[in-house]
Amino acid sequence: MADENIHAQPQHADGKHIQLPAPTAWPIVLAFGCTMAAAGPLTSTGIGILGGVMMLAGCIGWFREVLPHEHHEQVEILDRPVVVASRRALVERIQLDPRHRAHVPVETYPVLSGIKGGIAGGVAMIIPALIYGEIAEHSIWYPVNLLGGAGVINWQHAPNAVIAAFHWDTFLIAIAIHIITCLLVGLLYGAMLPMLPRHPVLLGGILAPLLWTGLLHSFMGVINPALADRIAWGWFLVSQVTFGVTAGIVVARQERIPTGQSLPFAARLGIEAPGLLLSRPDAGSPVDKNKDREDRH
Amino acid sequence: MADQTVPLGNSLGAAYPSSGTFLEWLHSWVVTVDHKKLGILYIAYGLFFLLVAGAEAMVIRYQLAFPNNHFVSPEAYNQIFTMHGTTMVFLAGMPIIFGLANYMVPLMIGARDMAFPRLNAFSFWLTAFGGLLLYFSFIGGFGLYGMGNAPDAGWFAYAPLTGSAFSPGHSMDYWALALIVAGFGTLGTAINIVATTLSMRCRGMTLTRMPLFVWLMLIVSAMTLLTITPLTAAQVMLLLDRYLGAHFFDAQAGGAPMLWIHFFWIFGHPEVYVLVLPAFAIANEVIPVFSRKAIFGYPAMVAASAGIGFVSFTVWAHHMFTVGMSWVGNTFFVLSTMVVGIFTGIKIFNWIATMWGGSIVFATPMLFCIAFVFQMLLAGLTGIMLSVAPWDWQLHNSYFLIAHFHYVLVGVIVIAIFAAFYYWYPKATGRMLSERLGKWHFWLFVIGFHVTFDTMHFVGILGMPRSIYTYQADRGWNTLNLVISLGAFLQGIAVAIFVWNLIYSYFRGQEAGSDPWDAWTLEWATPSPPPAYNFATEPEVRSRRPLWDLKHPSDPDWKYEA
Repeated sequence: MADENIHAQPQHADGKHIQLPAPTAWPIVLAFGCTMAAAGPLTSTGIGILGGVMMLAGCIGWFREVLPHEHHEQVEILDRPVVVASRRALVERIQLDPRHRAHVPVETYPVLSGIKGGIAGGVAMIIPALIYGEIAEHSIWYPVNLLGGAGVINWQHAPNAVIAAFHWDTFLIAIAIHIITCLLVGLLYGAMLPMLPRHPVLLGGILAPLLWTGLLHSFMGVINPALADRIAWGWFLVSQVTFGVTAGIVVARQERIPTGQSLPFAARLGIEAPGLLLSRPDAGSPVDKNKDREDRH
Repeated sequence: MADQTVPLGNSLGAAYPSSGTFLEWLHSWVVTVDHKKLGILYIAYGLFFLLVAGAEAMVIRYQLAFPNNHFVSPEAYNQIFTMHGTTMVFLAGMPIIFGLANYMVPLMIGARDMAFPRLNAFSFWLTAFGGLLLYFSFIGGFGLYGMGNAPDAGWFAYAPLTGSAFSPGHSMDYWALALIVAGFGTLGTAINIVATTLSMRCRGMTLTRMPLFVWLMLIVSAMTLLTITPLTAAQVMLLLDRYLGAHFFDAQAGGAPMLWIHFFWIFGHPEVYVLVLPAFAIANEVIPVFSRKAIFGYPAMVAASAGIGFVSFTVWAHHMFTVGMSWVGNTFFVLSTMVVGIFTGIKIFNWIATMWGGSIVFATPMLFCIAFVFQMLLAGLTGIMLSVAPWDWQLHNSYFLIAHFHYVLVGVIVIAIFAAFYYWYPKATGRMLSERLGKWHFWLFVIGFHVTFDTMHFVGILGMPRSIYTYQADRGWNTLNLVISLGAFLQGIAVAIFVWNLIYSYFRGQEAGSDPWDAWTLEWATPSPPPAYNFATEPEVRSRRPLWDLKHPSDPDWKYEA
């Protein structure tokens, strides 16, 4: 093996020495000269002139170092062989299940199921929100205006009576925000629920809204302090959980479809090339490639 | 599968012959053209300035630890934070990285030396003297016979603050001229690395078999050639303004301060990648060895690195959202900046995939690399936040940006450099660094880092502007600033342990042997430290892991590499 990998011919005629570039002081002289020349305008003309002289001397010395023939030194080859050996004798290949590349999720819900879940959850969460408005401010428009006016500067310091009244503009904005957000979160649920290990509805419907509400609670004071003061976080959590559970149930009741993740790449592209799917006989399975692992004794 | 013990004939001798007197020893270092010695000089020089800039950071943090503090004067404070930034980027980060490249690239590609050994020496000494000239400004800023003043306009030296009307004396002249001198040194080294990599690879080492470290250093060097030149050009223009009455950056005379900002960031942003790609390069070598697996997705790693290099030249104006650009400009630079996230994402996934299923050895280099991957993700996320123009408008001139910047430069680059020290120190000295001290260093540094820079994001969000000298007690920043400073001092303790480890282990460390990590690239096929000639006979490789092939002849990599 050594013969295969190490070129055995000595690199110099006598086989005992190697020719290397000779050490030289001219590079440091030239560098110091350049620096002194640069320092000239900062210090005094004399320093600059001295730098120029050193640069000239450095260049001449350097040229004489390589012209007409480059200077070399002979370095003796020290005969002290190095042993190239591994302390880890055993090469253990990672044993792969044929389904190893069958990524989660093997099956997922169709896009439509996420949209359905989002719509259902969006409708359901309106109910606790309106109940809150009616109980807290005696107006169902209060939570609507909070949502629609969240980013409007004029609403930052509006009195409660104004926020409790009906306004077309904030109503339409709130509807748009609500629809878009519910559809997007519904799609997210459709994509994520198959990946949650157990009790997807419980995790997606309760735990995720809980985390989301906590995150929003910590952020909202920085992003929009006026809005943060008006949000009743308990009611907010109830409406989020209502959305999550409803959307989760609707999505989970839909029929799953295979994702195609477990199919070879070529097959997923629709290429009919059986040769591409076979492994090289000398290289093992393509799945095993780059998966070697060594273990200690 | 059995072990294979493969003697390499005459190729591998002992280290340097014993030196004579101290003067002879000193002379051998001054006149050396050996890439390994120059690499060590680069690294020692960079490490020295890392400590200097670290000390400056300590002063900054003590000054800001308490409200209404007057530990240093406002003038001195401006000088210190300017020199801290300039030093870390130009005199610590770049030299350490190019020192590593100097030392490792020829060894990794099976070469005897760099392509131009004398140019290599010249480049190092230029860099070294450039740094010394910059620090001479502390005592010589008004000339040899006057009082000194160091540069104080920030490391980015924005016009018109650098004009002679606002920066009288020689402070900015020192900054410009010293960096021009050091910049030529950097250019020389970059040319050398490109030439060495392209023309001096050993037999069988095709581009697709080069270690990723070498690949990334090739990309970094090519980038360096393109990034240093606009900075040098701008500095020459600045000197023309200051000495000869030109008006490139003088708005009142028809010049454009914006021109400086463009020039600086056309240099400055790729420069961040010039610094961070070597950190990726280090991780590319360390993570596979300590995961006991080949790197995952080698071609994708090369492509992603080249992609980062290319895209980094298209993002400079994301540093300029707050100067007021057109919506077209804002949109382009927002999107181009976000594209960087795709390439770095590929890299993070590949590092994780390399570790996945491996027999991970949690030695100190690997600990630093795991922290590096984690930090890279966090730094990338805060970068994505700042790439959004409206967010940037709010926070660009706050400590949030300083926190993000240090997430990258300290959390990614410095931490990866620490990994490199622990990984390759045995090769350069023949001694292992102490693992016990290494773990103290790791934990104290990582904890101190997060205490400092996590908290710094919050103080930035609360509105603390960057570069301020002090602040009033009623701003709500007191406790946070104290916490930030305490974290900084914790990092200082960690670095002190690291330095002690370097010194202690050099004399008392365990013998390393040629291949202490059971690694796979060619540098581990030479003694530690390597002889002057590296390899007595030219190696020949057949795969990306030549030492794996030697160690496991019945299961070599070349069977699997197309």
